[in-house]
Amino acid sequence: MSDLDRQIEQLKRCEPLSESEVKALCLKAMEILVEESNVQRVDAPVTLCGDIHGQFYDMMELFKVGGDCPKTNYLFLGDFVDRGYYSVETFLLLLALKVRYPDRITLIRGNHESRQITQVYGFYDECVRKYGSVNVWRYCTDIFDYMSLSAVVENKIFCVHGGLSPAIMTLDQIRTIDRKQEVPHDGAMCDLLWSDPEDIVDGWGLSPRGAGFLFGGSVVTSFNHTNNIDYIGRAHQLVMEGYKWMFDSQIVTVWSAPNYCYRCGNVASILELDENLNKEFRVFDAAQQDSRGPPAKKPAPDYFL
Amino acid sequence: METVVDKVILKSAGAELLPDGRRGLRIHGWEIETLRGTILTSLAHEEWEERLKTSHLPEMVFGENALVLKHLSSGAKIHFNAFDALAGWKEEGLPPVEVPAAAQWKFRSKPLQQVILDYDYTFTTPYRGSEVIEKDKEAVEVKANLEGEASIQWENCEEQIDLAALSLKEPILFYDEVVLYEDELADNGISLLTVKVRVMPSSWFLLLRFWLRVDGVLMRLRETRMHYVFGKGETPTVLRESCWREATFQSLFAKGYPVDIAVYSDPSTISQRLPVIKKTTQKLKIPHKV
Repeated sequence: MSDLDRQIEQLKRCEPLSESEVKALCLKAMEILVEESNVQRVDAPVTLCGDIHGQFYDMMELFKVGGDCPKTNYLFLGDFVDRGYYSVETFLLLLALKVRYPDRITLIRGNHESRQITQVYGFYDECVRKYGSVNVWRYCTDIFDYMSLSAVVENKIFCVHGGLSPAIMTLDQIRTIDRKQEVPHDGAMCDLLWSDPEDIVDGWGLSPRGAGFLFGGSVVTSFNHTNNIDYIGRAHQLVMEGYKWMFDSQIVTVWSAPNYCYRCGNVASILELDENLNKEFRVFDAAQQDSRGPPAKKPAPDYFL
Repeated sequence: METVVDKVILKSAGAELLPDGRRGLRIHGWEIETLRGTILTSLAHEEWEERLKTSHLPEMVFGENALVLKHLSSGAKIHFNAFDALAGWKEEGLPPVEVPAAAQWKFRSKPLQQVILDYDYTFTTPYRGSEVIEKDKEAVEVKANLEGEASIQWENCEEQIDLAALSLKEPILFYDEVVLYEDELADNGISLLTVKVRVMPSSWFLLLRFWLRVDGVLMRLRETRMHYVFGKGETPTVLRESCWREATFQSLFAKGYPVDIAVYSDPSTISQRLPVIKKTTQKLKIPHKV
């Protein structure tokens, strides 16, 4: 058994790698990811997966439902880390699978694959807690910069973490972005990872936060038409039912973190596309508590005032 | 989150746990219970939007979650739920708060047709709890019935919640915390409304907390505490203190507090650094008969 196969087995038991192993793995992953296009071409059959957010045992549930990699070809739409208890193991397992089976798993970048966001929402703290230093966080966040921004399945289904951008009309415009950087605060790359579809606007909307685009049905219609796309697959927003179509089936949100944050009670889904692009959503629940391993720390009664 | 306590301690305090797996207990004429469910389904989400006349709700609304405190002989009920809290948000209707990135965004070239949304995405609520009197299983809205005999209402008072008594390490017979709603502000911070309760042999005490952190911009903490001492005085009286605190990050940095956002994740530890902007103390006399 090769070192890599052994590491994959170890990670599947939710046991993290050593710091030097992470460093070596990231170097190998970098060589593969740097070759990928900003709009990575993916062949069908393929299974689309949405946000995971460090919910390792729920991701193992996902593999149970969807089949093991490399037997099943996977496309993950980002947000592997933050919020859940096992961002380290989750991301490293996906990365190890990427290095071992580069043509059977595609990882694109979500807005949480960023230095700034991971410092606020958990991944940074988890790395420091598990390794006693920031090195592993550094290796991983450096890899984030190399991850592709989007994918297109059989030239018919455009896949991205967040959504569209007013600066982007064509897939070729995405191809010209220099992606090897921290996710910027504005511009096309930021929009692809952050924007949301919104029912109450038809064209473009600006979030009340003063930053962040919302896009309506006519924007999607025009984008899909221009690029000869059937529909858009994206993640980024929690959906109680695991997936949600909008704008007459021109865009679908896929969410793959069941019982999000260990308390929302939502189901998750993955979208299986066969060789003819026929769709099947596989809906699944969170892993059983007892198979989930330690944490799930419950706050003891406290004498709050 | 709820906890199992010794049956002997419960019995000696005159309390009994609620049957059938319900979370809560009966003690000295009160029934105190927490309820828990999932976030709203997409269908329920739309229904709430319609009822609240809004097109936006927090990402996670725990529509079935509640804390209910019933005074059994009078039918008076104090309860906490997401719907009433969101009705309060809708009514207060604060203007939106711009995130730091907004400054840069002003220089972006705008799409041809752009709508600027202007609702209060922080879901800040003045909510301090709901009260009804339940009689013959028929709930009478207290507010709608101010003139009738059945009315109960909060009145301003001088008394303070006895924090010294609450600092004693009495056994906690029942403890629980429920989330009413939560929103991650699209990763720009957090908006969180929770209520927690602890019941001791001598009293019950609860804390409703709205916590808002817009990263790099402001923090807002709106807390309501209620305390009820068992068997004290002729008329059962609940004390309620509300304290609103708020500060911009800028003002905290100016005072020399740390700039690192991670420091501001726990409202309990930083509340003292936030200046009080509003404080009220009230009491609720519960009528013997309705």
